[in-house]
Amino acid sequence: MTTRTRYFVIVSLLVLGVGVSSGLVAYYVGGFPARAAGQRGGPEELNFVPRDVAAVAYANIQEIMASELRQKLHHALPSEPTGQREFQNETGINLETDVDRIVGCVRPESASSGVPGGAGMVLARGRFDEVKIESLMREHGARVDDYGGKRLIVADGNATDVHVADERRHIGHSVALSFIEPGLAAFGSTPLVKSAIDLHRAGNNPQSGLESVTGNEELMNLVRSMDTSSQNAWAVGRFDALRANAHLPENVLSQIPAISWFAVSGHVNGGLRGTIRAEARDDEAANNLRDVVRGFLALAKLSGGSRPELQAMMQSLELAGAGKTVSLSFNVPAEVFDLVGAAANGRIKQ
Amino acid sequence: MTPSLLASAVRVFDLSLGQMLWSRRSIFLGLLLGGPVVLALALRIISSLYGLPINGAQPEGATIFGMMVWLLYIRFIVPILGVFYGTALIADEVEDKTITYLFTRPIPRSAVLLGKYLAYLVCTVLLVLPSVMLVFFLIAPTGGSSVAAAFPSLLADFAMLIMGLASYGAVFALVGTRLKRPLVVGLVYAFGWEPAVLLFPGYLKRLTVMYYLQALVTHEMPQDSAVSMVLQLFREVPAIPTSLVSLAVIIAVTLWGAGRAVEQREYVLEQ
Repeated sequence: MTTRTRYFVIVSLLVLGVGVSSGLVAYYVGGFPARAAGQRGGPEELNFVPRDVAAVAYANIQEIMASELRQKLHHALPSEPTGQREFQNETGINLETDVDRIVGCVRPESASSGVPGGAGMVLARGRFDEVKIESLMREHGARVDDYGGKRLIVADGNATDVHVADERRHIGHSVALSFIEPGLAAFGSTPLVKSAIDLHRAGNNPQSGLESVTGNEELMNLVRSMDTSSQNAWAVGRFDALRANAHLPENVLSQIPAISWFAVSGHVNGGLRGTIRAEARDDEAANNLRDVVRGFLALAKLSGGSRPELQAMMQSLELAGAGKTVSLSFNVPAEVFDLVGAAANGRIKQ
Repeated sequence: MTPSLLASAVRVFDLSLGQMLWSRRSIFLGLLLGGPVVLALALRIISSLYGLPINGAQPEGATIFGMMVWLLYIRFIVPILGVFYGTALIADEVEDKTITYLFTRPIPRSAVLLGKYLAYLVCTVLLVLPSVMLVFFLIAPTGGSSVAAAFPSLLADFAMLIMGLASYGAVFALVGTRLKRPLVVGLVYAFGWEPAVLLFPGYLKRLTVMYYLQALVTHEMPQDSAVSMVLQLFREVPAIPTSLVSLAVIIAVTLWGAGRAVEQREYVLEQ
């Protein structure tokens, strides 16, 4: 072997060695808690979300409300959505003007939560008229308690419908609102709002059994995997926990793919583009899921060819993923929403 | 005393590696493998400046890397390297009329083929793998993806590419020793027969290297054209152990066949 050839072999092996070593270091260091703590990721409101939630979601309300898509839909469907109006009537919070961003979470039904049907909470960052909101909620039958030095406005909702004997059910259906710090409102199931207040007061303290979701490494890895700079809404969670909580019939459950985790992220502006990612239980389940999605995509792309307005959306569907991961990226252009708006308008006029 | 097949093959390998690396064919190889790196660099620059929407959606870096592995390396670079180098292992010596010098040495004739095949494998692996690695480090960290998360698939890609280069090299070594105009036959096989057969349902696809190689790819097949969609509809994926065993059998059988051909064939050098 000539010297030149020997040098080539050495350089090539060095490049490979350095690359593989760097990759291995990144792979293993990526799992170290110290680094994870340094790169916690996600919005700061996650500090007030309890560790045992099954799913968390984030939305930059300001960006979404100011988006071209929202404006378009607003013009196409001028009437305010019922849910939004009801929420404003109950709490005095106008989602469009008062809220900057929200973080939501869902805790499944479990022995620890003690809440049948699970519980949910929304942490909203924005500008709130606390006095007005409190008085409005009191007018609707809410009462004000003191919890951890914070005012907790509790509305028992369907309290009259609920058999008071079932205290757990009663707690589960009561909702509360609290301003845990200026500009941050927690609204949702009373136990979850109380947990948020505890976390705000005492901080993350696993020794005392009080820990935020930022200590849930599996969930936070998914949160960190979201490209928060380019996405204005996302949701991640344990699919199996939510599925178990859905109380679906056995024959329906058996048809649902064995997915452990899911992650959905999207950017709303002129249109809607995003990615749906699922982590299956094993490689075989992932392959099965990919086969199903692949079949649907092929059919959708072939049938979508006859509708030029849908063609861009169909072409944007991209199935990807390796091993246990299956992901589908998509882009719904503004034209599709124009069609939806026109169809909805036509129905309203009829 | 005639040295053993392996000792002879190592000696031929030592001689052939330098010849292969510093031949004119290496310029073609350099361009072929430099292309994806330049493309990845361009994508990285565009991604950091403007983002990288494909059909309006923002795919992860790992997804783009998977597409590049499929479209550039598996469907093009690996088969074409196999065709160009595999068919030339013995044909080049015949063409240069230097085969006589090798065959007059006191070594088994099949050791010449085996040594040259090993030189081909080392030469292509040492060029292809660093190229894939550079592409990976340029593309994987973009679009919300991370090197750490995608790294296991890179190692699987390395193993798959080595198997691909070994299989195609062995198949085309057989073609090069058995047939006249091996380059034309090799190109027709790699870019005509294999893609066509994979499009249709049935057992014929089991007579291709690509059928088994595709099963080792951890990335999702890109849906870039109507052909890809049809491919996906009729795609059968054999189990990984089945694919590994099948590829090993293909390598062993074709190399044995090529070795037999070299041992038995009478090479008449044209004046």
